[in-house]
Amino acid sequence: MDSLIAKADALGPVAKRRKIYKDEHRKKSNGSSSRSAAPSDLTAGSVSIRTSVPKSLRPTSPPPENVPKYSHIKDRKLRTQLTRQSTWSARNKVLLKDAELLLTEEVGRIDVDGEMEKTWRVSQDEVINAAGQEAARGRKEWTLDGGPYRSKYTRNGRHIAVVGRKGHVATFDWQAGVLHTELQLRETCRDITFLHDHSHFAVAQQKYVYIYDRDGVELHQLKSHIEPTRLEFLPFHWLLASVGNSGYLKYQDTSTGQLLVEHRTKLGACTTMTQNTHNAVIHLGHQNGTVTLWTPNLPYPAVRLLSHLGPVVSVSVDPSTGGRYMASAGQDGTVKVWDCRNWKGAVRQWNARGGGGELEWSQKGTLAVTTGGSVNIYTKPSIQASFAGTVSPPLYLTHPIPHRPLSSARFCPFHDILTVGHSAGLSSILVPGSGEPNFDSAEADPFENKKARREREIKSLLDKIQPDMITLDPEFIGSLAPPPKLSTAVEGVHDVPFARLPRLERLRVQGKADETEGDDPVDDEGDEARPSKKSSHEEKEKKKMRGKNKSLKRYLRKQRKNVIDPRAIAVKAKLEKEREERRKERALANGAEKQKSSALDRFKRRT
Amino acid sequence: MVKISVLQHAPAAHLPSRPGDPTPTSRNLDPLLHPFSRARERMRALNAAKMERIFAKPFVAALEGHVDAVETMARKPESLDMVASGSWDGGLILHDISRRTRVLHVEGAHKGKVSGVCFAGKDRLLSCGVDRNVKLWNIQQSTDDVDDDGAGPSVKRKPLNIFPGKAAFNSVDHHRSDPLFATASNLVQIWDETRKAAISDLTFPTSTETISAVRFNLSESSVLASIGSDRTFTLYDIRTGKAERRVVMQMSSNSLSWSPTFPTVLLLASEDHNLYTFDIRSLRTPTQIYKAHVAAVMSCDWSPTGTELVSGGWDRTVRIWKEGVGTAPEVYHTKRMQRVTSTLYTADARFVLSGSDDGNVRIWKAHASEKLGIITARERSAIEYRESLKERWKMDAEVGKVQRSRHIPKPVHKAGQLKRTMLEARRVKEERRRKHSRAGENKPKAERKKLVIAEQT
Repeated sequence: MDSLIAKADALGPVAKRRKIYKDEHRKKSNGSSSRSAAPSDLTAGSVSIRTSVPKSLRPTSPPPENVPKYSHIKDRKLRTQLTRQSTWSARNKVLLKDAELLLTEEVGRIDVDGEMEKTWRVSQDEVINAAGQEAARGRKEWTLDGGPYRSKYTRNGRHIAVVGRKGHVATFDWQAGVLHTELQLRETCRDITFLHDHSHFAVAQQKYVYIYDRDGVELHQLKSHIEPTRLEFLPFHWLLASVGNSGYLKYQDTSTGQLLVEHRTKLGACTTMTQNTHNAVIHLGHQNGTVTLWTPNLPYPAVRLLSHLGPVVSVSVDPSTGGRYMASAGQDGTVKVWDCRNWKGAVRQWNARGGGGELEWSQKGTLAVTTGGSVNIYTKPSIQASFAGTVSPPLYLTHPIPHRPLSSARFCPFHDILTVGHSAGLSSILVPGSGEPNFDSAEADPFENKKARREREIKSLLDKIQPDMITLDPEFIGSLAPPPKLSTAVEGVHDVPFARLPRLERLRVQGKADETEGDDPVDDEGDEARPSKKSSHEEKEKKKMRGKNKSLKRYLRKQRKNVIDPRAIAVKAKLEKEREERRKERALANGAEKQKSSALDRFKRRT
Repeated sequence: MVKISVLQHAPAAHLPSRPGDPTPTSRNLDPLLHPFSRARERMRALNAAKMERIFAKPFVAALEGHVDAVETMARKPESLDMVASGSWDGGLILHDISRRTRVLHVEGAHKGKVSGVCFAGKDRLLSCGVDRNVKLWNIQQSTDDVDDDGAGPSVKRKPLNIFPGKAAFNSVDHHRSDPLFATASNLVQIWDETRKAAISDLTFPTSTETISAVRFNLSESSVLASIGSDRTFTLYDIRTGKAERRVVMQMSSNSLSWSPTFPTVLLLASEDHNLYTFDIRSLRTPTQIYKAHVAAVMSCDWSPTGTELVSGGWDRTVRIWKEGVGTAPEVYHTKRMQRVTSTLYTADARFVLSGSDDGNVRIWKAHASEKLGIITARERSAIEYRESLKERWKMDAEVGKVQRSRHIPKPVHKAGQLKRTMLEARRVKEERRRKHSRAGENKPKAERKKLVIAEQT
């Protein structure tokens, strides 16, 4: 059995074995050549070669710098795992940067040389002349009867749905020029939206919301949505949100069909709605000039903001900054840009000539404002930089449309196209630099085929996020829960037995809790660093004591601390001595040569 | 001069060049193009966890043949499908588990129960019983085994050799390479296959116990361990012919098993509802306690990979543990499975066998939701992705709950509740006692330090 034990020791874990090798090397370098342990190592050595990761599977790039080391964590296994994780994520970040090189398509733009040339002087004809044949097809004029038109694109930008006030509805693939359906509904239609893809769309009609399929067959009449004015579809939650003249915001789950929740806004008829695509919060603009932000799980608005003096006409959220900025236009003719993290006053505001109109923010952050008889387009850094005056930011492009009113503006995703709806139909204009050039096939692909579309439908149904996960901050998922405010463990007071304490409290009582910071430098003398921290904790004394506060008492207490206690000094000295001995031992173990004893040592003074 | 460029996608770059080609895909890793990526990944992880539970159908087959409890099982070395089982009715069956057939069936191999079986080399089988005999069987199929209609042997099969002993045998185990085997009765005996009498008796000097199981170490093959009714386990070396160490514990053990990959590790299935692994280099404390059974653990076995272990208990459940993880094992049960008296891993570590009081040997998957059969590369990668998602999101409350929760039979659940209540009451009492006694008089003792009473050499 002893042989078994010996054998087991020989086949220890690989890490240990390596350490032994190191020691041997050191010994050899010191000059003492001892090869006693060599034969027993042979097997372990061969095993460790076979069991390590082959070179082809090892990561090729060197580990990135400034990865946290977690040296303050004592548990070796945990420390290794944490280090490995953070190395992995840091490496991934670097690789993500590399992946940007693989993006092939270039974003569109207008370059001018010199101060005297202005981009807003460029007309659509010049843009079309400069654009390629494929891009020039985006410029279109659809002359249609039946009142001011509204439109909506699918998420991949391939299909468009248009609806006229008088009840003309059409959906088509604008790139291939294929008409899916055309309906004359013969009643007032106020809005249209696609559901998860172009195979279904919902129309806000005179009394109710109706859902049609691609061929124009009426599938559902949503009777609970009464007199709807605006529709929005939240694609990742499969929710159809509608708001109407009665002032109710209603969420309908289009995968299960049930009416999820209805919120009473108490702010009257509402004709302005938009969604923040990054956190699925619904923004509503009201008649009294407030903008409210809604989530399904709150019966009251998450944010209520008085943005304009008159009714709010339009609201839009910037997708290029992850929903950080919101723009709102009022009947009073002002356009305001808000920072969604700090609602204290608008970042920038200006007066739009001819009253406020529709607003729309594109994927790359250009803002289209329809005012009076023209569309004005502004670009990013200037509209989001805070500015005190009410001066309009520099104009990027402008395009006159003589058919008032301009009832909608929609940017086409992944294209430089803006579609404006007006009383005589719709007109699409080219806005260089507004569309995201590189799409992701896994999310939204303009060129996807039938099979891919079907597969994506199933996948997105499986990944459907529950509606109660909608919050203002979508990153709360997967992050640590905030520490509880009520603590059960108060030392000695509540008399909670040790075994019933929560784990962290137990560790704290034992003095094993890890309360050090993660970014601490490597501390060699941990036992020296810790007490100093503790003592600094103790030195900080509360000014306010419970009961009668007498300065004399405090003074006396402080005096007491300075009393020199011979016992304390003795203990301190003893501890110091022990520490010294330990350090010597450690130094010896690390290989510092023990000094040879000589005959004269006996005359040395003892310390 | 104004320079204008407008974004345009060339359709040729995004459409398949020829009909039948795969559609080209493009990637953009900008996080703005992937909203709700975390929430969606969590949803995927939740679905993965649910799918695992949906497809968790571990039961594969039941092998019938015994008319009483299956006391012991052994797998044939260097074979994936041959398993021998011995029963209380004295029957001995050799199962082919891949075909689910009986290769050999000896009724009345012993009078009374067959208490141990093991393979002796390629085609011979050792069995011992309470009739004080060890019998050596030839397991090669001969023509007279099978009738014309395949019903079974017409003539009763004769053992190759009979080794008579003085007391009822409880266990037998064969040496890895030499023609030696060890038996357990009131002492451990070493036998040579060619001789009628035992060649040596091994016993701890002061012991008067009944040895209930004996096992040779798998790598250092002259070392063997035994467990006894005296709440002990003992280590012997046949080269010295002595008992080397003996450890007395709180409760007796029912079964033992040496780790196949780590030669010094020993697993004990204890009467006190727990399993223990010991490193024989330090026998004062177990290296790990495995707590989940609610009744005595009757049997245990290591997976051939050494990373998992299986145990069967008096509580009618089979549990599969990860090595070093002492809680929340996978639990298998069926309505008709009675007390599990023997468990075994198959040699490919994919299946688990359990023999129970109802006379059946059941085959279970070692991983409950594993798909049997051919798996395509796409499927494999999907499975791996789901595994990594589950691993990554296991701390999420909902995902973790789905992963952890198991349905167990009501009696087992109730017994677990009762056990928890009792332990809690005991702990509270202990704490109160400590509180009202002089400070520092009785300090709390760690659970793993309570186990071993004495270590004797």
